[in-house]
Amino acid sequence: MIRRIWSLVIKEFIHLRTDWWLPAFMLLGGVTELLLVAWATSRPITNLPLMVLDYSKSAQSRALIVGLENTGTFRAAEAVDDMHEITSALEKGKINAAVIIPPDFDDMMVASNGQPTLQILLNGAESTPALEALRAVDGLARDINQRIIIQRLGLRSDEFAGFDVSLRVWFNENLSEALYTTPAELGLMLEFTVLLFAALAFSRERELGTLEQLLVMPFSSLEIIIGKSIPVVIIAITDFVLMLGMIHFAFDVPIRGSFFLLMVLALAYLLVELSKGLVISVISRTQHQAFLLVMLVGMVDFMFTGYAAPVEGMPQALQWFANLIPAHHWLYIMRSILLKGSGLNVLYPHVLALAALGLIIGTFSLRFVRRALD
Amino acid sequence: MDYQPAILAKDLTKRFGDFTAVDHINFNVQHGEIFGFLGPNGSGKTTTIRMLLGLMKPGEGSVEVLGLKVEKDTSKIRPRVGYMSQRFSLYNDLTVLQNLNFYGQAYGLENSLLQKRIAEALHMAGLERHENTQTRDLSGGWRQRLALGAAILHRPEVLFLDEPTAGVDPLSRRAFWDLLYKLVSTPLQPETNQASLESEMREQRGVTVFITTHYMDEAEHSHRLAFIQHGKIIASGSPIEIKTQKMPGDVLEISPSDAAGAVKVLRSAQNDGKLPLNEIVLYGSLVHVIAPDILRHEQAITVILQNSGIQPGVMTVIEPSLEDVFIACMKS
Repeated sequence: MIRRIWSLVIKEFIHLRTDWWLPAFMLLGGVTELLLVAWATSRPITNLPLMVLDYSKSAQSRALIVGLENTGTFRAAEAVDDMHEITSALEKGKINAAVIIPPDFDDMMVASNGQPTLQILLNGAESTPALEALRAVDGLARDINQRIIIQRLGLRSDEFAGFDVSLRVWFNENLSEALYTTPAELGLMLEFTVLLFAALAFSRERELGTLEQLLVMPFSSLEIIIGKSIPVVIIAITDFVLMLGMIHFAFDVPIRGSFFLLMVLALAYLLVELSKGLVISVISRTQHQAFLLVMLVGMVDFMFTGYAAPVEGMPQALQWFANLIPAHHWLYIMRSILLKGSGLNVLYPHVLALAALGLIIGTFSLRFVRRALD
Repeated sequence: MDYQPAILAKDLTKRFGDFTAVDHINFNVQHGEIFGFLGPNGSGKTTTIRMLLGLMKPGEGSVEVLGLKVEKDTSKIRPRVGYMSQRFSLYNDLTVLQNLNFYGQAYGLENSLLQKRIAEALHMAGLERHENTQTRDLSGGWRQRLALGAAILHRPEVLFLDEPTAGVDPLSRRAFWDLLYKLVSTPLQPETNQASLESEMREQRGVTVFITTHYMDEAEHSHRLAFIQHGKIIASGSPIEIKTQKMPGDVLEISPSDAAGAVKVLRSAQNDGKLPLNEIVLYGSLVHVIAPDILRHEQAITVILQNSGIQPGVMTVIEPSLEDVFIACMKS
């Protein structure tokens, strides 16, 4: 039995060597994708294009513009004379934000009872930069407010202590986006690698016509499943370690919890995805079909990883549904081990959920695939 | 020991929805014979072979291979049979040697025995210096001989060949059949180290070959054959039996100056009721006319052809080819 399985494993690896783009995609595709994501998100948003329509043209308005530029969020403001230019630039997507300073800005700032106003236009079509711009303008406005109040009360700056929030972020001290996105991406890439690779296991041989030959050989269906799965597991685990090493060493994503626990749970998770992939593989007539099914399943899972939108903010029914998605639990587990250093004592609800789902999906898959092969 | 045929099909039936692909067919294949399973495309050949191999459950009826029920004892039968289809047996991205290694190991061959069998297969297929060629780079004939070599590495008792010669040139087909004959007449020797009483007995019986094809000339090479059409066996027996028993008349071979014209003229005479012929078939530049007691019509045929300005040429009564028989069977 071992020898027969071994012969199948060797055959699969020979396929991989001649079909080199497949393992290359599996191993390098994930790493490259992750590299780009980590790179793109590792720094805070800066240098957003900004337009200013300054009707005031005063010392106060110039100070405001310099203040905006000093936040670092915006690049040097482009001064325009006409509202039309702003409208057109927003429509063309050339700028993310525009500031309009009214003619009485200077007077209002200086007058003891003045109420200075400022108009901000944001490009909401790109919500992330828009939010970042809003945050920057908000912060600046708060500073200016405080300065005006101190001035008008005739106080020295150290005499005033308003309401102040003491902020401390745990687990991701700089609220770096990379620490959030890269583990999510890592988890997803692992899912796609396993699903896609497993989905090709039988659909490929069926498309080429060799599946029948395999089925009349003295392999039991279990031997075929094991022989087909071993290469998937080896490639996927290698891929996972590569990707983890890359984000750890190149992008300082910490591994605060137990590396061993992480690997054990990664293996468990990929067996669950493997089971799904094999089901896709036997119901697909061609590789093409298998690929499309993987995309479909992957897209649904993607929604519940919390990558696109936090699961906690979803409607109740969807939150409940998320519990049925292995990727949801896996991403929670992985983020917690990497960033929080959580152990089983904290993670056990998700580990148990993953185990239960794995048991159900795995059993179903094994029976389904065996029946399809017999 | 009770006598068991190598393959026994009883009332084998398979329906797909309303379509009956295989319709209550019965046949048996004796040990050591080449059994040809003939039929046009879509006649039920592949469905039948799939049921014989246990890849598909019969709707009704049963199949026994080597005295074992296919549905129940699949795992006992598999190591004792071989299967090859010309197009799909080999992995194209594996080399010749890798394919053979995979086959051998899958059937549990090891070490020196595996090496020996592979060397024999390479020799048989004439691929001795091409071990490291990718299979996709082999020509059709070589690929087919390699597939056969792979299928017999484990010395199967029954060999199932599904259209092994489809799309291969006539010379390679001939070479392939020579190989098959050799296989059946000189039983493959299992090595002494694993000889047992049972394997010695098998050895004496020789390999049994079940082969599907749609080439008529190949049918002539079979020891016995069955002709299947629309899921039913419409003729079976040895080629001689089929020719003598199923033929509704004699065959007259004519070599006229204009063969196509002659067929046209004779057909219209047949339709007008002037000539009571069963069949008029064009064979390249020859024409075969079939009717009971054909020589009675020789004179009439000559006259009709000459009236149309066609020289009848030489006319001889010949032994019917299987193709003649099958065309006759299909029409009746």
